[in-house]
Amino acid sequence: MRLKRLGGIALASVIALMLLLPLAVTSSFALDILIRVLLFSFIGTAWNLLGGYARQLSLGHAAFFGLGAYTSTLLQIDFGISPWIGMVAGGVVALAASLPIGWLCFRLRGPYFTIATIATAQVLMLIFLKFRDFAWGAEGTTIPNLGHAPLMMQFDGKAYYYYIALGLLALALAVTARIERSRVGYYLVAIGEDEDAAEAIGVNVPKVKRDIYMISAFLTALAGTFYTQYIYFIDPQTAFNFNVSIEAALVSIVGGVGTLWGPVIGTVLLETTSALLQSWLGNSVGGVQLTVYSLILMAVILWRPTGIMGFLTEWRARRAKAPPALAKAQA
Amino acid sequence: MLETIAQAVINGLLIGGIYALVSIGVTLIFGVVKIVNFAQGEFVMIGMYISFFLATQLGVDPIVSLLVTMPVLFCVGMLVQHFLIRRVLGLNDLPQIFLTFALSLLVLNLALMLLTANYRTVHTWYSDEALHFAGLYVPVAKLAAFVLAMVLSALLWVFLHTTDLGKAMRAASQNRDVAQLMGINPNRVFAVALGIALALAGAAGSLLMPFYPAYPMVGQVFVLMAFVAVVLGTLGNVVGALVASLLMGVAESLGIQFVGADSGLIVVFAMLLLTLAVRPSGLAGGRRR
Amino acid sequence: MADALVINGLNKRFGGLRAVQDVSFTVRANETLALIGPNGAGKTTAFNLIMGFYRPDAGSVSAFGAELVGMRPHQVCALGVARTFQVAKPFGGMSVLDNVMTGAFLRDRSPDAARAKAREAIDFVGLSAREGTAARDLTTIDQRRLEMARALATQPRLLLLDEVMAGLNPAEVDQAVALVGKLSRRGLTIVIVEHLMRAIMAVAKHIVVLDHGQKIAEGAPKEIVANPEVIRAYLGSSYAHAPAAPGGAAS
Repeated sequence: MRLKRLGGIALASVIALMLLLPLAVTSSFALDILIRVLLFSFIGTAWNLLGGYARQLSLGHAAFFGLGAYTSTLLQIDFGISPWIGMVAGGVVALAASLPIGWLCFRLRGPYFTIATIATAQVLMLIFLKFRDFAWGAEGTTIPNLGHAPLMMQFDGKAYYYYIALGLLALALAVTARIERSRVGYYLVAIGEDEDAAEAIGVNVPKVKRDIYMISAFLTALAGTFYTQYIYFIDPQTAFNFNVSIEAALVSIVGGVGTLWGPVIGTVLLETTSALLQSWLGNSVGGVQLTVYSLILMAVILWRPTGIMGFLTEWRARRAKAPPALAKAQA
Repeated sequence: MLETIAQAVINGLLIGGIYALVSIGVTLIFGVVKIVNFAQGEFVMIGMYISFFLATQLGVDPIVSLLVTMPVLFCVGMLVQHFLIRRVLGLNDLPQIFLTFALSLLVLNLALMLLTANYRTVHTWYSDEALHFAGLYVPVAKLAAFVLAMVLSALLWVFLHTTDLGKAMRAASQNRDVAQLMGINPNRVFAVALGIALALAGAAGSLLMPFYPAYPMVGQVFVLMAFVAVVLGTLGNVVGALVASLLMGVAESLGIQFVGADSGLIVVFAMLLLTLAVRPSGLAGGRRR
Repeated sequence: MADALVINGLNKRFGGLRAVQDVSFTVRANETLALIGPNGAGKTTAFNLIMGFYRPDAGSVSAFGAELVGMRPHQVCALGVARTFQVAKPFGGMSVLDNVMTGAFLRDRSPDAARAKAREAIDFVGLSAREGTAARDLTTIDQRRLEMARALATQPRLLLLDEVMAGLNPAEVDQAVALVGKLSRRGLTIVIVEHLMRAIMAVAKHIVVLDHGQKIAEGAPKEIVANPEVIRAYLGSSYAHAPAAPGGAAS
């Protein structure tokens, strides 16, 4: 009980801190890092629903990121529709796309599911690269700079973007927390553990997978819109970038798959490392960031597949000096 | 018109031989160790760079450097099995998928860091030579690569079907538990499987050098082809991977010829997605119906 | 009242292997039927066919009047058929309680209601003391209990038990037999696959014998035990004509 109270206080303080941070931190560079941390925590949390809880290891979430980005940008540039609406529209497009993509990919299991998801994101990139008629082709386009235009999701200060990103993350965390505690949450973990056993006890496995894929796709698409608005630019290589897919999975694995805070913790670790590397080495040497990321990933896989959260849970259980069973029953 | 098609088919077959070497490695590892090696392409890349440096520093012909790349990569394969793969056997999907994926990322980005993204090429006396007959143009370098690829594949087939170790590998591939009961040491078998697969990847790399540039990302293209071929040819089936690779080479080539220069990849993906839609049965572990 | 399970002309082959050939039998409501036969006879395949993990090549399976062929396993479960697996498949990372709750959610959407129902099932199989233990940390026999609790949480009317007693010591076998008896008295129909004759005799009045995918005998325990075909299937032809031992316990 005491642990829960402490947890509640800790959470409240963190929320307060996050809300007040932009008042103290004004450096554009620092805010940019914070925004990236929030954004990738958000993307990772969205991925985690499907990949962490249900263990459907997608490496193609860039598909939804890109669909979100292009939908809102097309609506904005061709029809003058606000990206706020475009963001939701992008989410819906991604949600709809997740149905045929899921139908195709879920026919496979394990690593072949993963490969199929990679293929679908690549196909989308190729399509957008090739067909210049509806979406500017390979050069992409810039978002016309309207100065400070809140209704068109454009601001003259990074703090605004910070709050949007924070809001998105809060949304994803709220959705995850709600699902985790509900029937669907149990079903997701069961599917992640053993699909056949889950189905034998009445879990409608195909439907649950479909539903969670839709939610995950919707959320990921929101990030695509946000990012495009943030950097005022879109092109297929950026929108459907494989690195987005990689990082979405990476932060969750490092932080702890199937946990609420795993993706956030993983992002903080990886983005901090990345920022440090950038300040030491600059951008001159290509491949450094991913080399370090891959080493971290390997270390986690080989020594602590449950990630940082898993490590913390086990450490807490050992500290309680009671067998893990008892400690869990008391918590 | 017929000539154009025939030429495209020839081109496709020739490159298909290289795809075959890569995909046979992937399917071998999957069949025996039950793990998908996401890093297979990176070992092709390593083979290419080894051949490149042997060619530019010591004047060794890339095809001859097979004699170096294959044993070196065989040892690398055994090391990878011993230090990495062994630790995630028997665990679930996540560690198995992401370990080789991380390895792929690591090798690719190390190459990027240490060797830079510049294209490296090797020009041999036969790089520009070609055979001409029946109005067809057959580059010597590609023909040599194809022939050697087929020879290596045949040698592998002989190994798997006539030697004790090869039969042990096939046994482990079909039923690991029974194989273990019959005294076959799985770790030894896995190590050899990894060694062979990576040696084939290295061979592919060496054979590519006379007509293909080496750069850190080169492995990605080939591994994608390999995965599609493995799925098409049925997981774990060596002959299937070979045939599928040749078919895909031809399909890609026809695609480039008749759809557009950058359409090769789309054609291949279309093949993959079509197969998934129509015939996923037997294409993945665990799908029963 | 409709029969609990009617299997008619069931056929399934895997490549060249005919795993199940023209098998037919009926299980009456609230009956306990034992499905026996040497290893590889097709018993687990029959379970997989009933549950919908495999599709039969021919034949029909109906439970409580509803045709099961073509349904997915979760639909079969919703209809009231549950099974345990020969090699237990617990959700290793979840606690015992969470495992069973996942089953209880079939009938109760709310976590609190599901938790209560789950606790009942856990109590029934005697696992209450281990409620919070992670499933992967359980002993084999406790994992079997968990399988059963999880299946029971779906409130089945027909329960398929696949070799739940394999590897148990005599005292544990008695406990398992008692459990099966309790379930039967609650009105459950049970089909149990077992090798242990002692246990089979204690719980089943109706036995079906499979060998190489075909049904070779059906009847009351006394008849089965004296049946020369059955003896031949288990022990080989040299024993087929040996006189039945007095008392009928051939094991």
